[in-house]
Amino acid sequence: MHLDFGVAWKFLPILLTASLMTIALFVLSQVLGTVAAFFLALARMSPRGWLRRPAIAYIWVVRGTPLLLHLFFVYYAAPAFGLTLDAFPAAIIAMSASAAAYNAEIIRAGLQAVHRGQLEAAYAVGMRYDQVVRRIVLPQAVRIVIPPYMGNAISHCKNSSLASVITVPELMLTAQMIYSSTYRAIEILTVTGVIYLVLTSCLSALQMYLERATAYERRGLGGARRRRLRLDAPLPSMPA
Amino acid sequence: MIEVEDLAKHFGAVRALDGVSLSVAAGEVVCLIGPSGSGKSTLLRCINFLEEPTSGVVRVGGRRVGWHDHDGHARRASARELARTRAEIGMVFQHFYLWPHMVALENVIEGLVTVKGLSVGAAAAKGRALLEKVGLADKMEVYPEHLSGGQRQRVAIARALAMEPRVMLFDEPTSSLDPELVGEVLRVMEQVARDGMTMLVATHEMGFARKAADRVMFLDHGKIVETGTPDEIFGRPRHERLRRFLDTVLV
Repeated sequence: MHLDFGVAWKFLPILLTASLMTIALFVLSQVLGTVAAFFLALARMSPRGWLRRPAIAYIWVVRGTPLLLHLFFVYYAAPAFGLTLDAFPAAIIAMSASAAAYNAEIIRAGLQAVHRGQLEAAYAVGMRYDQVVRRIVLPQAVRIVIPPYMGNAISHCKNSSLASVITVPELMLTAQMIYSSTYRAIEILTVTGVIYLVLTSCLSALQMYLERATAYERRGLGGARRRRLRLDAPLPSMPA
Repeated sequence: MIEVEDLAKHFGAVRALDGVSLSVAAGEVVCLIGPSGSGKSTLLRCINFLEEPTSGVVRVGGRRVGWHDHDGHARRASARELARTRAEIGMVFQHFYLWPHMVALENVIEGLVTVKGLSVGAAAAKGRALLEKVGLADKMEVYPEHLSGGQRQRVAIARALAMEPRVMLFDEPTSSLDPELVGEVLRVMEQVARDGMTMLVATHEMGFARKAADRVMFLDHGKIVETGTPDEIFGRPRHERLRRFLDTVLV
């Protein structure tokens, strides 16, 4: 077998440009999917049936059917509703919808891991629901959620390759086009694989960083927080 | 300061509270005693609406809790109204429920900043004074998990005091503490009582009830069976059930 990585080297700039599209697909749909997932998780936990039941149904349907199908569905079904979508926005919609369903369950697990008593203590000092979520639940849930959330993000990043089937010119489609004209499948796929590995390694590194950054009890107080709390000022001694 | 009228709380077929009426005057310290499951906790939790009563009326400082009285018609209080009422009712829990992602001082000032809108600096000055008062001047920037149970509960008391509540509810504040840590928490509670706070305390510490309470109420099966001064309750109990309860706890 004769390998010629010179071909891969020649096409590397094109592959790198295509990986920008992969990054755009991933980042945009991950962000949209996470914001939607947060509200979906709150709805899923609501005591109100009219909020909870649609959330359960949405997660059930979207998680239970393939992303590949969602991509085709959005791309080819949209014109039937009088809406012609380009491949990129169609992919963003389908991928965001999918990310929302998975992330909703991950976020719900994090929110529910915060002990009920913590919430009661917050209500008891007079906080409202939104304050309790923002000040008490989220800071703790974020930390719990980092490993499963980042694991899912890595899957989602790789799944962006599925957008190739609806002609989004991302990394996988570009690689296919190059090796079908050069017949250098092994070399091109190897380089493409390395690029995916670099992208997902960045996510793994981000995960490690976030886990360290949120390990509050080991880190202690930072300088800014100490100053805000005026911890270095002398104690105001109580009048006897 | 606290008025409870004919309060009932049913969990399915279980009557946790079965027609409780009581009132606590301003500055008065009232201890609730009774066996586990007698309804002490449920009563406290209904007073600040962490538990919604099945029926009955609770008033704190003249204002109805959980409901908004208007020209003789009552409607459910909005979330905002309920939060405002709760800010006037301090609560101390058996299991502390400090927020683990905040150091002791941040726990104490969280309500001042988030609920009352104080600046962090102003709140911190107040919080530091309170932590000093409960004997934790050297633990301001320690996370709860590095504090002992007694220290955690004192932080929790400071957190409740910071809001300058009109009343304080204590839900078995020493029941999950190692015996040698009970004293430091009770001393802080006695100090709070001496400062004139209106207190309703569910407790198994008969020594504290005898020493610090103005009145003691004995609950059993969701009803107040007997009320009296500590001398009356502990010295001349009238009901057989109270006598049997005291026999089991005062060994």
